[in-house]
Amino acid sequence: MAPTSGTRCSRCRAPLQRPENGNIDTAIALAVCALVLFFLSNAYPLVTIQVNGTTRATTLLGAASGLYTQGHAGLASLVFITTVLGPFLQIAGLLYLLLPLRRAREAPGQNTIFRLLAQVRPWTFVEVFMLGVLVALVRLSAYARVVPGVALWSCGLLMLTLAALTSRTTPGQFWRWVDGGRAGE
Amino acid sequence: MSEAPTGRSLGLLVCLQCRATVRALQVTYPRCPRCYAHLYQRKPHSLAATAALLVCAAILYIPANLLPVMYTRTIFDDEQDTIMSGVLVLLHSSWPIAVLVFIASIVVPLLKIISLGVVVFSTWRRSSRFRTQRSELFRLVEFIGRWSMLDVYAITLLVALVQIRSLAFVSVGWGALAFAAVVVLTTFAARTFAERLLWESPP
Repeated sequence: MAPTSGTRCSRCRAPLQRPENGNIDTAIALAVCALVLFFLSNAYPLVTIQVNGTTRATTLLGAASGLYTQGHAGLASLVFITTVLGPFLQIAGLLYLLLPLRRAREAPGQNTIFRLLAQVRPWTFVEVFMLGVLVALVRLSAYARVVPGVALWSCGLLMLTLAALTSRTTPGQFWRWVDGGRAGE
Repeated sequence: MSEAPTGRSLGLLVCLQCRATVRALQVTYPRCPRCYAHLYQRKPHSLAATAALLVCAAILYIPANLLPVMYTRTIFDDEQDTIMSGVLVLLHSSWPIAVLVFIASIVVPLLKIISLGVVVFSTWRRSSRFRTQRSELFRLVEFIGRWSMLDVYAITLLVALVQIRSLAFVSVGWGALAFAAVVVLTTFAARTFAERLLWESPP
């Protein structure tokens, strides 16, 4: 079939995947960028509020651990997995697989790890989290002065970088790179 | 609509992991030559698993909306919020955000449960009507489902920030857990459903 964009399945009208031929260096650069943003998002406070001279700030991890100390371990781990662990595994896992692949080598356990990454992928909710923060800030702004922190901005950039990274490392694309490496041997 | 030949009729399988097209071999447990994943004609036990997850989600939707998701204790009074009363509070400060939260936390989960129910039931009956529309409905549901987590994150942040002992104190209610469980269960339900079952011809 001709590689035109916007081709759809004749039966269920789902968009068909084009034969991809992305650059592996772009994907690696995006992953490194995402890793830096990920550390910034976790190291700095997300927001600070000021009420009557009292100041209170929270980080991403602080938000999840707040739930844990209130006895909601289930909710805390859900928030932790979808906002911290999920993005980290996705970024670190992709770097682990892509760096050797760039030199036409295969990382140990490549097949299993990529399969696990495909399971983790639907559980990264950074964009939903950003909107959730916005909702919380709107609710708070009636009672307190709200100051956005460094992590809020880096989290927003992380959301965009992750979206770009995910769309450039689809399973079809990844296995095309693997096939390319195997053919060159 | 022209009927294109299917992979099954040509004796081909698609690896569910790496999307390689593989010739179906007559062995008991075939594996993909490219990524070594198990190969299946269809995802195993798909319909039963999706239906089970969906029933759990539908049951939990009730406590998720009735139980309080958040308690607020200030020096003046104690308050408890359900998802719906939270939306009403937001309505006073900013109505676009209130509409957004209403859609994400009340309309979307309900719509998701109902439409997945319709898709599963009609697939089980092997109905051949509106297949394209049902396919599109399923993909839409899969895409918007994650946005229901919105309120859970908002509550998480409020709990972490509003801990000023003398003035105000926010804690989580069990409704939030039920609500998060609905989102997780429906996400799993959509993921276990094998879309291709929709297109299986009636017996």
